[in-house]
Amino acid sequence: MLKINNLSAAVDDGQKQILSGLSLEVPAGEVHAIMGPNGAGKSTLSYVLTGRDGYEVTGGDVSLNGKDLLEMDPEERAAAGVFLSFQYPLEIPGVPTMTFLKTALNAQRKARGEEEMKAPEFLKKSRALAAELKMKPEMLKRPLNVGFSGGEKKRMEIFQMMMLEPNFIVMDETDSGLDVDALRIVADGVNKLRSPERGMLIITHYQRLLDYIVPDAVHVLAGGKIAASGDADFAKKLEAEGYDAYAA
Amino acid sequence: MPLDLNTLPTRRDEAWKWTDVRAVAKEDRGGLSAAGLPKFTLPDGVSISEASDGASQTDTPMASLARSISGAVWTVTVPEGFNAKDPLVIEGLSRGHIRIHLVLGKGASLSVIEHHAGDASSFVNLDMVIDLSEGASIERAIIHDDPESCLRVATTHITAWAGAKINQYALSFGGDLSRLETRVAVMGKEVEAVLNGAYLLGAKRHVDMTSYIDLAVPHCTIRQAVKGVVKDKARGVFQGKFHVRRPAQNTDAEMRHDALMLSDTAEIRSKPELEIYADDVACAHGNTIGQLDESALFYMRQRGIPVAQARALLTEAFVADVFDDMSDEPLQESVLGKIREWLGA
Repeated sequence: MLKINNLSAAVDDGQKQILSGLSLEVPAGEVHAIMGPNGAGKSTLSYVLTGRDGYEVTGGDVSLNGKDLLEMDPEERAAAGVFLSFQYPLEIPGVPTMTFLKTALNAQRKARGEEEMKAPEFLKKSRALAAELKMKPEMLKRPLNVGFSGGEKKRMEIFQMMMLEPNFIVMDETDSGLDVDALRIVADGVNKLRSPERGMLIITHYQRLLDYIVPDAVHVLAGGKIAASGDADFAKKLEAEGYDAYAA
Repeated sequence: MPLDLNTLPTRRDEAWKWTDVRAVAKEDRGGLSAAGLPKFTLPDGVSISEASDGASQTDTPMASLARSISGAVWTVTVPEGFNAKDPLVIEGLSRGHIRIHLVLGKGASLSVIEHHAGDASSFVNLDMVIDLSEGASIERAIIHDDPESCLRVATTHITAWAGAKINQYALSFGGDLSRLETRVAVMGKEVEAVLNGAYLLGAKRHVDMTSYIDLAVPHCTIRQAVKGVVKDKARGVFQGKFHVRRPAQNTDAEMRHDALMLSDTAEIRSKPELEIYADDVACAHGNTIGQLDESALFYMRQRGIPVAQARALLTEAFVADVFDDMSDEPLQESVLGKIREWLGA
């Protein structure tokens, strides 16, 4: 599904190399976790995969289901099914959450040559999902993320993810800012999205989230590349022993 | 008698330093030396008269030009206590010198919609006087949509007596050179005024939103929020002044001007001023000039919204809130529609 081959990337106008020769493959139906020390390039990886300006790819390639992702604009990648749950979701003043999400959903559908989702269907689906995620209905009327707590913003990311039904999900530090109850709700939502057609990459500093979303594989990102890989138990070992052994 | 171009304001006049009328006023502009012919749609119960002489309450250079060339004054009167159901619509502000006088009796209320749409290459000089008696209330919507070649100066002088209310919403797309100026003399206590506006400018368009609020009595409230969006080689000017005289204690006044520069060849000139002589007042002003938030743009694109649409949504959200409190919802929707149309173009 997602194939990253020998990927290198830099920031600060190419001055600062962050990723150097990272290779990783996430087959459809699997959930992979990426762990690693602060500053290892975990967030950089999420931005390179989604095409953020300022993150310059200096080598390698990335494909999703055989399609070259690096050639695409961010919105084209989104329409191709890539979703990033942001570590720090943005506030969009003046744009009501429902307007934002309906615009996004229908823009993706249009880009894929599908029919737009009509308002009644959209409303029905969003109300049902909001209830499932224990979100207050009035949150959907407010401007996106404006005045939301950290936990509410993360829940909103999951809500968007469930509405947009992407086929590859990148979650960047989704557990930060969540208490245990919220974490369980978020993890339930994510687990529901696991399917044989869908892949996920979970970027996390702590192992805690992986108790709730059990990964098929765990990788250590250090020194700009994958330094070690293992199964779900490997995360527990990393949590106990730290990342010193993998320091660049 | 043809207008002597040298009587027009130039950038040497401090108040006109960013809007040089003389420089763009050529002899061949339509209406330069002629009276204009406005068109009024009157609500029931409101009367109009044309008199060749009116009170000469205004003393700006543009006002005296209007006086000497247009001659007549169109006077619209709303009787005491009368609440006009339908709006007064003013159109035909397309060329020439025009004088309009709106008189609202005690406790009267009126909603005015002004369509400032000029002829190509024309010259428009509108001098408007509004008298608000005690407790009178006016809501003004100004829609300024000129061709790119039109030169327009529209000056409004409002006198507000005790308890009067002003709600003004201006939307401008600029012109060759244009200035929308509002001057308010607050003469009675407990006047409340909202003076909001937005300008969206492309190509080489220019608009100047200038205001001068003179407060001479206590307990008045002024709220002013102007938003600007400029792209290409357009130029936006904001000049705002609150003059709070010594007796104007407990004045509560806020002025904001916030502008977005969508290209670095566009220009914003801004001069917010507070001149305060009273010692017990709450007055504030703020002025920002910025760009669209790149992080917000990326976030929207990551969700699949194409970049042009993301920019338009963010810009609309930025501008639209100055029109939030318009009482006429269909009119508000039409204002927002015009903004969307501009953003989509």
